[in-house]
Amino acid sequence: MAFPILLLLVFILFPVLAVTVQGLITGTPFLDVIASPRIQFTIIFTFSQAILSTIMAVLIGLPGAFLIARLRFRGKSLVKAMMIVPFVLPPIVVVVGFLQMFGANGIIDSILMWFQGSATSVFNLATGVPGIILAHTFYNVPLVLLMVSASLERLNPEVEESAEILGASSYQRLRYITVPHIMPSLLASAVLTFMFCFMSFPIVLAFGRGVYLTIEAQIYNAFRIFDYGQASSLTLIQIIVTLSLAFVYVQLGRKETETGPTSSIKTTTFGGYRLAEKCLIAGYLVLIVVLVLGPIATIVRASVFDPISQIYTLSGFINLFSTGSRYLINSLFYAGLATLFAVVLGIPLAIAMRSRSKTIPTVASIMILLPLGISSVTVAYGLVLMIAVPLGLVTNPWPIIVVAQTVIGLPFSARAIEIAMSKIDTAILDQADSLGASRLQRLFFVELPLLAPGILVGGVFAFAMAIGEMSATLLIALPQNYTLAVAIYIYLGVRHFVEAGAAALILVAICVIAFLLMEKISKGSVRGAL
Amino acid sequence: MVEVELQGLIRKFDDGTRIGPINLLVRDGELLTLLGPSGSGKTTTLRMVAGFIENVDGSLLFDGKNMIGIEPRERKIGMVFQSVALFPNMTVFENISFGPDMAGWSREDTICRVEELADLLGIRNLLLRKISEVSGGEAQRVALARALATNPSLLLLDEPLSALDLQLRERLQMEIRRIQKKLKITTIYVTHSQDEAFAISDRVAILSDGLVIQVGTPEELYDSPASEFVARFLGSGNVFSGRIVDIDDVEETVSILVSDTLFVIPGSGEIDSNLTFSVKPEDVIISDSISETSTTATLASITPQVGSFKVTLDFYGIPIISLTYDEALVKRLRSNGTKSVSFSFKEDSIIILRD
Repeated sequence: MAFPILLLLVFILFPVLAVTVQGLITGTPFLDVIASPRIQFTIIFTFSQAILSTIMAVLIGLPGAFLIARLRFRGKSLVKAMMIVPFVLPPIVVVVGFLQMFGANGIIDSILMWFQGSATSVFNLATGVPGIILAHTFYNVPLVLLMVSASLERLNPEVEESAEILGASSYQRLRYITVPHIMPSLLASAVLTFMFCFMSFPIVLAFGRGVYLTIEAQIYNAFRIFDYGQASSLTLIQIIVTLSLAFVYVQLGRKETETGPTSSIKTTTFGGYRLAEKCLIAGYLVLIVVLVLGPIATIVRASVFDPISQIYTLSGFINLFSTGSRYLINSLFYAGLATLFAVVLGIPLAIAMRSRSKTIPTVASIMILLPLGISSVTVAYGLVLMIAVPLGLVTNPWPIIVVAQTVIGLPFSARAIEIAMSKIDTAILDQADSLGASRLQRLFFVELPLLAPGILVGGVFAFAMAIGEMSATLLIALPQNYTLAVAIYIYLGVRHFVEAGAAALILVAICVIAFLLMEKISKGSVRGAL
Repeated sequence: MVEVELQGLIRKFDDGTRIGPINLLVRDGELLTLLGPSGSGKTTTLRMVAGFIENVDGSLLFDGKNMIGIEPRERKIGMVFQSVALFPNMTVFENISFGPDMAGWSREDTICRVEELADLLGIRNLLLRKISEVSGGEAQRVALARALATNPSLLLLDEPLSALDLQLRERLQMEIRRIQKKLKITTIYVTHSQDEAFAISDRVAILSDGLVIQVGTPEELYDSPASEFVARFLGSGNVFSGRIVDIDDVEETVSILVSDTLFVIPGSGEIDSNLTFSVKPEDVIISDSISETSTTATLASITPQVGSFKVTLDFYGIPIISLTYDEALVKRLRSNGTKSVSFSFKEDSIIILRD
């Protein structure tokens, strides 16, 4: 149990601490950094875009949560399962999808151009602040939707009926019963959304045009110009914010305990609504399709439509496979290794989290959550400076990429395995004991077979995270180490849009397959891993 | 308070099954219990009365006024749910005052009413607690206080005590009964426990497969079950079924052949028709002295109970339960390893069942 914690100490805590402390001591002083108007703008922008994105995600996600919970329709479980897809979709792929849906010469733009008979682009939302906010909204609407609808489904219908019979109107029931009930999970989803947007990197890098940057993107820039003082100061600010948010999130998670013991939530069929309500629902569904499904579906068009020459072409795939086949090989190789490590380390970490001792579970969960709260750019830079340089891995740092991707996939694999463990009936283990199984026999013949689905889900989740990882990989990789995700960013930078589209489509395919695998293995319980 | 009448109340389900038609009269101020096995339609019937189920056929009259189509909150009902369903985000006080608040009572009236109910139910010391801090029995009291807060004219209780342990359940049964009598509030109580129904009710309605089978006071039901189902469900009857082979019009008796054994019982009927009768356990007399004329059965088990022994016999596959107070007899039966026991029925103890 101590071994994986030790490894995490060596590969996360040590590099991050070392590089941050070194930067703070030897680089530009902290106060000078935050006195700079440029940095102040970045900090303010980071907060305001995160707030705006969170508000958007909540506003759009909340009606959907009520719909999902209250509306009875065919394929409901499929729709809920599909909501997971954006989570496993790499951000850089979302960028490609957004360019194609909302960008210049994208789907909406093309329709408007045809409508107005214009030969030049008339509409572009996939750039600057609107692009950043929209993409963040896309990412987090499903999060709000799933967390709040799950909470609504836990609301005991008899509680609502009690209120009804005590004379509460439907508005009063919403105000006094439903809203207080979903408030913890609504806040939790908002905090999580804020945290993700706060630390956003690929989307901001792609849409921010170098002007609108998050703290994370500015850390990346600072490292590139070797301003360690600035990078460390910003890392410090970021860690303080994310850790406070993580604390709030954990506190909120403890609040909700009430469950509906006897019956399930009241649902209504679509036919049970009035005409005006039906129109609202239909309008909402169109919005969701355009915002959430649109960018995913249009990646297909992005892979074959060249917006510069305005023609459909297969050259993206041809170029990708002739000159860029190593991107795919790199991606699969690194992510494959990272997944293996994430699972091998995830099992003892999950065991540690469920240990009866007081300190071990806390240490283990902090270690697992750390990569989620610490700038992955900082982790990457720490790894390069403190591990790769002393070990002489600078000319081909691929092991460091694997380490970084392992660290990023680990929270997901460990969490999935831990959930699977919590679902094992302890009576079964006691039974094995009473039948005379030794500890090892119990582990190999009883526990591991029962855990197998959880381990597989964890592995697939970690794989999806690793293969889509761009921030850390971009910083560590030399050109011969580029993965598909990094290649998309590079292609976009040199305006090779179809190549980026083709690479994105391959990543989408991999992620969708991963998602289908998870659904198949876990029979729909993937959502628990969030 | 109010008299409730259910006239041909039917609830149809999508799969073709249905509950009802239910015909039932709940008298003003009485406590009527709906008793039946799970799936018999007790809760559905209660929810139809509350108004939670739409698309109901038939009529539901409160003091002669039809309630179908009227919102649950307009019906002046108090209800306690099986899951208690207290509002988890509020204190005990806020839970009880929810109804008065919704009805727009003045603050003084509300506080006064909550304190009155809290005293009635002995929960005054809990008023400021959170719901997560009250125990199961306390939660039931709070739920009852909440249901009574706005002086409803009808109280509906849906298996309110089923989650509690036996001792607490018995205590709360008595308390509910005391409060109900004091307030004289018309009450419909749902339970699947015969003991609970008999302990608490003025009258009991027995439900099976969505229909009311028999309504009566606990004594009436126990002493004269109208059907085999009621006799078996109440556990009050050893049920025998057989063919009439002889009729004695002078003595007004019939002879019935049950498993090759002839029983002569008071009653009438036609030769060759079937007849079912039941005998209560306390009316079955057993003995270990066996003569040629006595009816015998095999001893299956002896279970000691408070104040008596429950002796189970096997009569050609039909279980016969007998209660005996004869300790010497039981001792002999046990020590002798006797397997054959003779039995007979007390006079006037035979209940002829319909169907």
